[in-house]
Amino acid sequence: DVGKDKKPFTPPREVRSQVTHPLAPEKREIFNSLHGWAEDNILVLLKPVEKCWQPNDFLPDPSSEGFQEQVKELRKRCKDIPDEYFVVLVGDMITEEALPTYQTMLNTLDGVRDETGASLTPWAIWTRAWTAEENRHGDLLNKYLYLSGRVDMRQIEKTIQYLIGSGMDPRTDNNPYLGFIYTSFQERATFVSHGNTARLAKEHGDLKLAQICGIIAADEKRHETAYTKIVEKLFEIDPDGTILALADMMRKKISMPAHLMYDGADDNLFDNFSSVAQRLGVYTAKDYADILEFLVGRWEVEKLTGLSGEGRKAQEYVCGLTPRIRRLDERAQARAKKSSPAPFSWIFGREVML
Amino acid sequence: MASFAASPVSFSAVSCTVKPNQVSNLRRASLSFSGKSSPSRRIPALRFRVACSAKPETVCKVVDIVRKQLALPDDRDVSGESTFATLGADSLDTVEIVMGLEEEFGISVEEESAQSITTVQDAADLIEKLLEKK
Repeated sequence: DVGKDKKPFTPPREVRSQVTHPLAPEKREIFNSLHGWAEDNILVLLKPVEKCWQPNDFLPDPSSEGFQEQVKELRKRCKDIPDEYFVVLVGDMITEEALPTYQTMLNTLDGVRDETGASLTPWAIWTRAWTAEENRHGDLLNKYLYLSGRVDMRQIEKTIQYLIGSGMDPRTDNNPYLGFIYTSFQERATFVSHGNTARLAKEHGDLKLAQICGIIAADEKRHETAYTKIVEKLFEIDPDGTILALADMMRKKISMPAHLMYDGADDNLFDNFSSVAQRLGVYTAKDYADILEFLVGRWEVEKLTGLSGEGRKAQEYVCGLTPRIRRLDERAQARAKKSSPAPFSWIFGREVML
Repeated sequence: MASFAASPVSFSAVSCTVKPNQVSNLRRASLSFSGKSSPSRRIPALRFRVACSAKPETVCKVVDIVRKQLALPDDRDVSGESTFATLGADSLDTVEIVMGLEEEFGISVEEESAQSITTVQDAADLIEKLLEKK
């Protein structure tokens, strides 16, 4: 399974040898032929910039008279939010701030990459606009956490610098089938995650923070709609190729974008952060199973016909996978070791239960 | 000779019913297999190993569980030597095999021990160790 090949006190690196598999010409052609369809069905899911929210809408306005008062109120609300919540929110924020990695990842995909940085194919237009929308997420969370005074910004900033430097290899192998399946899963995962941090913020009495997490979650939902639509189209055009791709991604397991995170102090940072996210119910193993189940239903995988022998095997594997994951999770829950505390540099070395 | 020596399991196609006291019968059978009947025939080293570590019936049960989990065809040879990886098990299969073994033998396998299991023999040996502790 995936381990971390690590010298102590250095950022982790991907263990597996990285491969690239240039897409066959006939498959590339599919993405060329979909330009018209993508314009009509995918680009319409982007929000025009003039209609978009901006971070300033949810933060104290520095140009207003009431700025300092608003900041005071923000800090007052944050005082009552427990450290463990901030650990998870910070982890999510760091993930968002590693956006350059995700734009890069989309541009590794054959057939849909932005060849010049200003390419006018619908795929390239989508990727840039998607990146631009996502960019606001990190900015908003960064400013909120900065103003809150509850977290060690320097440690967080260091973690972000390490993470962008590390990149990530989701094993999508230049293949847009794999790539869009991966992003479909991830967008839903972030939608679930931010939805949970919104709910928890409300429970802790910070309605403004709840709004912030909620507005981010709404974006993720819209992005999930776009990516799942692309994969739905691929299932329609090339059911065999797409089911093989889905089985492949699920066998490889959907790795989390920030799994290489490092803060200069903790060699188990990602694992520790994940534990807290699991314990708080922000993002859990159950969510992983739920997302898979949702996608299998959304793409009507059980109803696929006209598959090759390999395709049918892949279909069986995917359709049978959710219950197996749930059983595994049950077992892990049943034998969960007692929770133990761990320090996080993001909160000045204070400890939180894992 | 080699396929027999690999495991008592290959003797019976579907289910395994070898009991420890039948080992001597098997030895006699191996002699007639080769067409010779010399009682001083050398015992294959491999069988010695099976007899010295986990009981054959334990290996048997492990093989059964592995066969079921991986939906292996009857003619696919599985022995103590077989590694889960070469049998086509991915990480999920391996965990489920361990879960199956826990249920079958009423034991609990620690994460660390589970991760060190690579062959059928490893699993059988670990099971016997845990059964002894009980």
